[in-house]
Amino acid sequence: MANSFELINQIEENFAGAVKVDSVSGRAAFLSTSGERLLELTDFLANKMDGRFIMAIGTDKRPINNKFEISYLFGFDRDGFDISLKVEVEEEKLEVPSITQVIPGANWAEREVYDLLGIVPRNHPDPRRLILADDWPDDQYPLRKDFEHNHRPPAVQVKKIMKEPEGNATVLSVGPFFPTLEEPANFRLFVEGEKVVGCDYRGFFSHRGIEKLADKVLDYNQVPFMAERVCGICGFVHSCSYCQAVEDAALIEVPARARFIRTIMLELERIHSHLLWIGLAGHVIGFDTVLMQSWRIREPVMWLCEQISGNRKTYGMNLVGGVRRDIPESLHPKILETLAEIESQSRSMVDAIIKDTPLLMRLKGVGVLSPQDARKLCVVGPTARASGLTTDIRVQYPYAAYGELEFKAACQTGGDVLARTLVRAEELFTAIDLVRQALQKMPESPIMAEVQDIPPGKEGISVVEAPRGEAMHYVLTGTENRPYRWVIRAATYPQLQAIPHMLNKSTVADFPLIVASIDPCFSCTERVETVDRSKHTLKIYRREELLEQPQRKYQGGEQ
Amino acid sequence: MLKVIVLGFVHIFIILLLSPLYEGVMRKVRAVVHSRQGPPLLQPYYDLAKLMIKDDQQVSGDFIFKSAPVLCLGSVILVALFTPMGTDAPLSFTGDALVLVYLLTMSAVFIILGGMASRNPYAFLGANREMMLLLVVEPVLAISLMTGAIKAHSLMLTDISGFMAATPTLSLGVAGLAFFLVIQPEMAKIPFDLAEAETEIMEGPFIEYSGRRLALFKWAFFAKQVIFVSLFAQICLPWLQTGNAFLDIVLNLLKVLVLVVVVELIAALNPRLKIEQAIKYFAWVIVFALAGMGLALLGL
Repeated sequence: MANSFELINQIEENFAGAVKVDSVSGRAAFLSTSGERLLELTDFLANKMDGRFIMAIGTDKRPINNKFEISYLFGFDRDGFDISLKVEVEEEKLEVPSITQVIPGANWAEREVYDLLGIVPRNHPDPRRLILADDWPDDQYPLRKDFEHNHRPPAVQVKKIMKEPEGNATVLSVGPFFPTLEEPANFRLFVEGEKVVGCDYRGFFSHRGIEKLADKVLDYNQVPFMAERVCGICGFVHSCSYCQAVEDAALIEVPARARFIRTIMLELERIHSHLLWIGLAGHVIGFDTVLMQSWRIREPVMWLCEQISGNRKTYGMNLVGGVRRDIPESLHPKILETLAEIESQSRSMVDAIIKDTPLLMRLKGVGVLSPQDARKLCVVGPTARASGLTTDIRVQYPYAAYGELEFKAACQTGGDVLARTLVRAEELFTAIDLVRQALQKMPESPIMAEVQDIPPGKEGISVVEAPRGEAMHYVLTGTENRPYRWVIRAATYPQLQAIPHMLNKSTVADFPLIVASIDPCFSCTERVETVDRSKHTLKIYRREELLEQPQRKYQGGEQ
Repeated sequence: MLKVIVLGFVHIFIILLLSPLYEGVMRKVRAVVHSRQGPPLLQPYYDLAKLMIKDDQQVSGDFIFKSAPVLCLGSVILVALFTPMGTDAPLSFTGDALVLVYLLTMSAVFIILGGMASRNPYAFLGANREMMLLLVVEPVLAISLMTGAIKAHSLMLTDISGFMAATPTLSLGVAGLAFFLVIQPEMAKIPFDLAEAETEIMEGPFIEYSGRRLALFKWAFFAKQVIFVSLFAQICLPWLQTGNAFLDIVLNLLKVLVLVVVVELIAALNPRLKIEQAIKYFAWVIVFALAGMGLALLGL
């Protein structure tokens, strides 16, 4: 804590008059500034003070003070402290200087704020549309408060937004449907023979507008169930992170037992997520034996979760203030037994993987991300730890019961796919150990806190170390028993931006493995529709038309 | 003459009607390694039947695109007539070792041409890889066969096979080992299934094929597996010959069964290599095979 005050003092000394401290909580300080010295400030925070950019959060505060607001969130890992830097923007002049010039990792965050709220990042190096669909009109911003959640604007002409390769490289379009990505994401690879010389990404095909639902439809205790559905694998992470953000905002003290139960569920989730990943990585390079064996080892964890919560996945355990189900003493032997089984089986699998020469040939030196790039692009989680950064939210910003457990963050320095594999393997065993410790130290107490009315206008930030990295949730409380603004930043968000750097000097054969190595998690709702860029039309195909389609093309080809 | 015709039918029967069964065995082996139950043994027959009745969504009107699968299967059938499978091959005449290598190459060339004609970037990549692999794999096969031919003083596969059984020597051992190393790429099995690589380039040259034409390609693959393994069994493992044609053919089918299991085990326990790694590997195999040929010329 002492450090965090020192931090704020230092900022105030260097930028006297330009920064105002709004409030300081145990977890974060909220500062406000004007647009003029924003670039200097972010440069100071990121480069001098070693702050890590997390997210830019745009809010439409017009109903409160007739202004828009962007807050830039920085994490100071050494002190376990966040600083949120706020800039207010007048409605007449919706513009802020782009901080992507200083922090490359802020690229998407700023484009997202522009897409959803219409605040223009001035001098942005890559000001293309990121989230909204290609046929979305230019002047409609879905996260503004005067935009109804069920409003569907008319489709407009489709603009061409993908990059074209320089020189005479061939374009290899990977996705939106690709067997090893398994979720919609479109990578345009620019290749010369087998060599990849560049890449462009278009994703967000299944953006579901979850954040909008939270400020318009759901109430505080419905949101956790929505948050759980952000991701099919780390669902508990998201609901836990949301609940913690609300608890942080409303100063709710969560009972100790509930915190331990959250820890146990989070670590069980990490175990099955990492086993899933090891299997998928094997599948991508044609090693299906690894896939099948690691998924076989994973299965008992799912059964265990079903015994604890009633569901194999998407447990529905979290509420603001605690958890809904206890883990009774009678279940402890069963959990310990399953853990022992998983540990011995994973141990022999990981040993076999690490000693396999052909496998090492495929993993070593592939998709290297240097520590400098990792820092610059603000990558998180196992990807960062494989590149020599030591950020582990569980250690530096202890939440739930992690402060009371003993463990060490895994770290590797290779920065390649092998290093990421080793980090995940180590974390797998750490997670097993953590569940054991948590079971042993779990105190007796209620599992739910008494929740009073949540006051409006309070801010809460919560970051949870998901198996893929850190998931950030931000909540600004509002009236009508629902958040005024809820922001989710999933772990894959920063990692995906690092993919072009990892692809450097790689080949087409490496590409799926490199993408898989960040354990990407796009969302998975899609339907068949095509966008004709030349005619600027959008069409949804019926089955008969799909069957006709190739033949038509073929006849056209012969003429 | 009658014997040749009957034998020809037997060979075509084996490679067309029995080969999917071997594929079924391979899938079962893979399933056991994976701790899975696996599909029924007859699944490859069902797959072929299903593809045969499916619509062919052809994307290219190109003549080469349309005819490549037929020509590929055709050349594989022709290879079958030159391959000894227990007894003498139906079409065996002087020089058949060379003809065999040419015909085997042809089946791969049709895959490359078909892929190129579909004008899909993935197919191009796959065809490219197939071509590069062909350039390093076929020489090994040719060199091993030539080593046998030098020792046996004959280009006829039947003679080479008989000679190996009678007088195993160092050079023939080297040739046999080199031959064994090219089985995996010739059968398009992991670690050398680079041209198809489902998870990387989505079946490469076959990406635009569907229905009957895809079935023909698949069938050609099943057939090629049996031909290749049987060739290896006849040349490098020529023991247990009874002299009775019927018994010999059955024995050969059993040998193929054992070899197919070995091939599948290797495939299930390795990841796919990258093309440059594969080429580097086979460059060394070529050197090794050439050393074997040198030994044969020295009389060892």
